[in-house]
Amino acid sequence: MCAAAVAALTSMVFAAGASAGTYDLTIGEKTINVTGKDRTAMAINGTVPGPVLRFKEGEELVINVSNRLDVDTSIHWHGLILPFQQDGVPGISFDGIKPGTTHTYRFPAQQSGTYWYHSHSGLQEQAGVYGSIVIEPKAPEPFRYDREYVVVLSDWQDTRPEQVLANLKKMPDYYNYSQRTVADFFSDIKKMGIGAALEDRRMWGEMRMTPTDIADVSGYTFLVNGKNADQNWTGLFKAGERIRLRFVNAAAMTFFDVRIPGLKMTVVQADGNNVQPVSVDEFRIAVAETYDVIVRPTLDRAYTLFAESMGRTGYARGTLAPREGMTAAVPEPRKRPLLSMSDMGMAHEGMDHGSMAGMDHSTMPGMDHSKMGGAKADPFYAPGSGLMPKAANGGRFLSYADLKAQKPLYPLRAPTREITLRLTGNMERYFWSINDRKYSEAAPIRLKYGERVRFKFINETMMTHPMHLHGMWTILDNGSKKWNPIKHVVNIAPGTTVYTETEVDAPGKWAFHCHLIYHMATGMFREVIVEGGPEEKQSSNQVKVGG
Amino acid sequence: MNNLSHRNSIRGAILCAVLTLGLSAGASAASHHGGGHGGGHGGGHGQPAGSHMDSQMGGAHMSGGHTAGHMSGAPMAIGTPGTASDVSRTIDIALTDNRFTPETISVRKGETVRFRLKNSGQFVHEFNIGTSAMHARHQKEMMMMVEHGVLEPDRINHARMKMDMGGGRTMEHNDPNSVLLEPGKSAEVIWKFDTDASLEFACNVPGHYESGMMGRIDIQ
Repeated sequence: MCAAAVAALTSMVFAAGASAGTYDLTIGEKTINVTGKDRTAMAINGTVPGPVLRFKEGEELVINVSNRLDVDTSIHWHGLILPFQQDGVPGISFDGIKPGTTHTYRFPAQQSGTYWYHSHSGLQEQAGVYGSIVIEPKAPEPFRYDREYVVVLSDWQDTRPEQVLANLKKMPDYYNYSQRTVADFFSDIKKMGIGAALEDRRMWGEMRMTPTDIADVSGYTFLVNGKNADQNWTGLFKAGERIRLRFVNAAAMTFFDVRIPGLKMTVVQADGNNVQPVSVDEFRIAVAETYDVIVRPTLDRAYTLFAESMGRTGYARGTLAPREGMTAAVPEPRKRPLLSMSDMGMAHEGMDHGSMAGMDHSTMPGMDHSKMGGAKADPFYAPGSGLMPKAANGGRFLSYADLKAQKPLYPLRAPTREITLRLTGNMERYFWSINDRKYSEAAPIRLKYGERVRFKFINETMMTHPMHLHGMWTILDNGSKKWNPIKHVVNIAPGTTVYTETEVDAPGKWAFHCHLIYHMATGMFREVIVEGGPEEKQSSNQVKVGG
Repeated sequence: MNNLSHRNSIRGAILCAVLTLGLSAGASAASHHGGGHGGGHGGGHGQPAGSHMDSQMGGAHMSGGHTAGHMSGAPMAIGTPGTASDVSRTIDIALTDNRFTPETISVRKGETVRFRLKNSGQFVHEFNIGTSAMHARHQKEMMMMVEHGVLEPDRINHARMKMDMGGGRTMEHNDPNSVLLEPGKSAEVIWKFDTDASLEFACNVPGHYESGMMGRIDIQ
């Protein structure tokens, strides 16, 4: 019986031979209307997000990307293991795609799971150039489901991203206004007149980095598969079915706390890799991460899919329902984290940093989160952090500590060396850096093929940084030893130190950066050069991949 | 329902329930903790099992007043532990990561079935007969086993399992309607389906049931 089952399983694996697929993507401008105003977005095949690319593990992919913009573009296959020339980062893996031309990517789909793709040129990802990838595995998965939906979460701004960045560079001016009192306001009216004073405050209101704004950009509308909360993306089900939801955070700057009131979510994949299933009430998805969960609604009713931004500035909302048009109650947004006066006093690099610091360090002295409501403090956040995840229903909130590889890709071994990366920044001039140097000032990180490098991330800033290493897996050291999960993005919360390890098994040049687009664009970025390694590996498909 | 058992009350049930623990694979006995029940822990066999069964069977309602000695003959909500001589049929069930094969079984009402179970996966799995509500309760207990280091992904920490949690409570996993198997281990469960209950067989290791490691038992 068992032998027969194993035999059947084996034959399935070998029966699925290598197939080949050609895919065509066109990047061009497109007028969209998210907020009630027409705006020009950059779209893939005319939609934001772009189409779901469905590949099969083992498939030889040929992907033609045509550029109909008047600027260079690119597509990066986020989380895919591939030869570095196919990775799609202009200036590192290739020259980019010129206007009016078509670039052909060729690489095998060596892995399975939920991933995504996006432009790696300038700020185009924020303008709409992103989509999801689903790679069907060869082998049966360690979980069952009756239907599946891709859930792409993203953030949209009517303001062009280049303008947003320019405004951020002027942040100190905006930010100073936030320190003003009512007396200052009357003084401003006297100086500039009521119109100008109000206008200043309106602009500041749009662009400021408030103490309660956990991300440094506000004014976003949050989307589920390109739809805003009113448009209410809906996934249908029949009661009793298991639904696999493939969550992708394709936002440029926004972390989401995701829940579906009334349903437990069983997390079965993180960043495309199977994890030992863990049932939770809520999870936080960092920018560029993916999580696959299974839910099983047993009642013939609608459920709200609620993805609140970590800074509580808004939410993305969708619905799971037995029939089109059904809705469920939309939860009240939770309160924003508040700063205390003592937090303001923590400034050591200027007010900007100091005031933000308060959110993440003990905002309320003496408050022990670990004793609140039985919910355990997440060890991946600083004790007392204002960002400490807490499930809305008092239940279980997924922690990185819960992630255990279902089938570890790499055996546990001692690292061959350690590299310290301090995550740093200068809010005054709005640039972000690593070890106090921005990309343009820094030498590449050189790794040797075959070594196992341990990275020590020390977050010295007050922002959360989802760090993404291209081309090779990041083994998150969460204390699970041989079960430590592999990821492509590891989120480093303020005031924390996190260790990851990487088996250096992919020769070539790779990007390594914070995935918050304005942090990446202003310097929290490195080139990684992997030296040595077998010649044939540099372009072949023999790279190890996760399952 | 299987762990945190009251040691004294469980003994009787275990000894009377004809579990063929360890028969199919000698080494597997340890994963059932069956090996230890006969010797060393002799106390309490004669105690009434009713109160124990209420909790052990996840609140399944017994018709009341049963003692351990009458277990095999007492109809329960989910059926009763069977005896080898009554077995009319053997069903092989493979436990893999994370599913059962087959995923649906049919039995006749009153039939005594021998389940031959093999864990071919890389993780610890359970085979447990019960209602979905019972499984939901048992999942919480299994979670506690994980949190206390009794249940590791690919092994059972037997020393911790036998530790006295206070008041004679242990985290032993030893009910007749279920078995907990380490990777590579085999076991048998004999069960008499003298019931009309809506039953599922399930693995209640945290996350496994929710991932789909459960199957339906059709009673005809």
